[in-house]
Amino acid sequence: MAELLYQHAEPEAVLSGTHFMDGNHAACEGAIAAGCRFAAGYPITPSTEIVERFAERAPHVGAMFIQMEDEIASSICLQGAVWGGLKAMTVTSGPGFSLMMEHTGYAAMTETPCVFVDVQRAGPSTGLPTLPAQGDMLQCRFGSHGDYEAIALCPSSVQECFDFMIEAFNLAEAYRVPVFFMMDECVGHMTEKLVIPDAREISVLGRRFTKKPPEEFLPYAPGEDLVPEMVKAGDGYRFHVTGLTHDERGYPSTTLATQRQLVVRLIEKIQRNAPKIWKWEERNLQGAEVAVISYGISARVALKAIELAKQDGIQAGLFRLITVWPFPGQRIQELATRVRAIVVPELNLRGQVANEVERAVQGRCPVVPVGHPGGGVHDPQDIFHAIKEALS
Amino acid sequence: MKMQESASIPKFTRKDLIPGGEVKWCPGCGDYAILASIQKILPELNTPRENFVFVSGIGCSSRFPYYMNTYGLHSIHGRAPAVATGVKLANPKLSVWVMTGDGDAMSIGGNHLIHALRRNLDLKIVMFNNEIYGLTKGQYSPTTQMGQVTKSSPYGVPDYPFSPLRLALGAGATFVARAFDVDGPHLQAILKEAALHKGSAFIEIWQNCVVFNDSVFDPIVSKESRPDHLLYLEEGQPLLFGKDKENAVISEEMSPRVVPASEAPKERLLVHKSGLQDPAYAFLVSGMTYPEFPVPMGIFRNVQSPAYDEILDGQVKKAKAKAKDNSFMALFDGLETWTIN
Ligand SMILES: Cc1ncc(C[n+]2csc(CCOP(=O)(O)OP(=O)(O)O)c2C)c(N)n1
Ligand code: SF4
Ligand SMILES: [Mg+2]
Repeated sequence: MAELLYQHAEPEAVLSGTHFMDGNHAACEGAIAAGCRFAAGYPITPSTEIVERFAERAPHVGAMFIQMEDEIASSICLQGAVWGGLKAMTVTSGPGFSLMMEHTGYAAMTETPCVFVDVQRAGPSTGLPTLPAQGDMLQCRFGSHGDYEAIALCPSSVQECFDFMIEAFNLAEAYRVPVFFMMDECVGHMTEKLVIPDAREISVLGRRFTKKPPEEFLPYAPGEDLVPEMVKAGDGYRFHVTGLTHDERGYPSTTLATQRQLVVRLIEKIQRNAPKIWKWEERNLQGAEVAVISYGISARVALKAIELAKQDGIQAGLFRLITVWPFPGQRIQELATRVRAIVVPELNLRGQVANEVERAVQGRCPVVPVGHPGGGVHDPQDIFHAIKEALS
Repeated sequence: MKMQESASIPKFTRKDLIPGGEVKWCPGCGDYAILASIQKILPELNTPRENFVFVSGIGCSSRFPYYMNTYGLHSIHGRAPAVATGVKLANPKLSVWVMTGDGDAMSIGGNHLIHALRRNLDLKIVMFNNEIYGLTKGQYSPTTQMGQVTKSSPYGVPDYPFSPLRLALGAGATFVARAFDVDGPHLQAILKEAALHKGSAFIEIWQNCVVFNDSVFDPIVSKESRPDHLLYLEEGQPLLFGKDKENAVISEEMSPRVVPASEAPKERLLVHKSGLQDPAYAFLVSGMTYPEFPVPMGIFRNVQSPAYDEILDGQVKKAKAKAKDNSFMALFDGLETWTIN
């Protein structure tokens, strides 16, 4: 099994120092620091600044930006770039993300490490192009047909747009999956302090290239952690990438046994490694009566509601999801045994993440979703009332 | 019969087409002039107002249907030709117009566009070409000039632009024309011809985006530039230009060439004909670009071929007319199910 080779970031590519910038620009800098050297995109509000900055920065860091004819093209062009040997991302928002779904499945099936950035806006359809939502949380998980697992991260500050973008690229390489960087319009457009550390303090995971000689190499034979090693075009390995069900040699096979072996592994490589992938933040949960579970911009709004609850004599704490997929259900189940109720504010109306919380909690305590149609953020009062109600 | 029909069509005026409410284009945007031209010609088309349908994609230009008091479908980025195909097939008596931008039509919608043109379905496809993505605030489009600095091409556009006219000709469009926003009478004449055409019509309209690509067409369309750099195509007329028509375009080795009119060999002087079945001439003239050539405006191609809806209609009639064949071979060759009596 190829060991995971962490290096530090390229010093020439990292703008170390203290900055004042918005989440979109910070996400771009995070990608560059992480070693992303190829971006393909098609302009769409509210995400375009990420690729506009990337286009500007590209020649200075040895990277390339290509504006493709649409998101269908962008999301598959980037996979070509990965097999050509680069780390790559595409950047979009709702309507473009919908168009990418065929290719998120291709990335999952071909185990192409890559990053899809979705700066979420309100939908469905063209919806509210300039206003926030968190309505694509199930789409990134289930949007393509068939069974697969993916990883999704939700930053909730400008600093996290930088930090977790690096994490997103590292996870993509570690598990060879598409990683979804699920921002929202607020996080993308809010301007805050950003500290970019010294390149030597940034860990970047290299690609898991095989050391086996070509005659021994089986492209889809997994290592112990269920992740196979990679090669790139031009290195002398004969290699087929295919979206068809394939055996360990990468050749199409139509047997039930191959299908089971492959698809079960695609799922298990994430599920089994989930504890290593999970990231969350807990605040004031010690002795809390109510846990507010949230992510992205909603988690920041929830802090205000928690403060209001405190003034009202209710002990509430925050469990902020950073990794939304794979879902940290185990941890939430534990939490459910310690609190009297769970409240889940998010910028969608059908409880996209709240339902998953409920599934994990399995009736151990009441789960109260606090929906929102998108187009703005919650009024903290609404979350506060939900906290109060959840206890009554 | 014809007389009676037109007499029964309720009259409407330009004013009836203005829905009221705010028009949300930037002040000075070329889209206003195009809107005014379309509102001007519609009442002259002998079609009831309720039969007009305007279908658009996404973009500044695609907000067009909101500003017309007719049926309107503001659809999905790039998809208007496919939506319009459905509308027209479902109700062929409708006059269906696609309002689209250079990004909407040539980039994300390129595939739908070429196939709609190829089918020769009776659609009027009006492309507002401002050589930029206006709505998303200034990234380059497939028609932006190579080397131009835009928001997404900080070091200059690295790709070659499309020639929209040549793309349409290549796709087999039976009506192909170009006009520009501020010459109302010319634009209106072109739009009327397009409306009368039976089959797919593609009209490229140069449109000034004052905010993100101001004055890109000025070297050709400004009042001072026009005599030397713009050539209005007139049916049956030689391609002459200049203040005193002192220059001529001739054909040399299947390419255009500019010579003084006095020296133009008569047999090689290009004379405009839009009705040629072979698109070679239209292709040649549509390749005349600034600054080497005067840029032609007008109708490049206008030929008749059966339209998709007519072909389909013919098939339906034929299939219905065919007597029911219950022979064993007919069953064998036919659908995979049959009825047991
Ligand atoms: C699937 C999808 N991708 C991207 C966008 C964002 N978008 C809206 S309009 C547009 C381009 C508009 O350019 P153009 O068609 O030339 O129209 P203009 O605004 O210049 O009139 C883009 C990229 C979108 N709405 N949907
Ligand atoms: S951005 Fe350009 S195209 Fe769009 S409305 Fe303004 S001037 Fe017109
Ligand atoms: Mg445009």
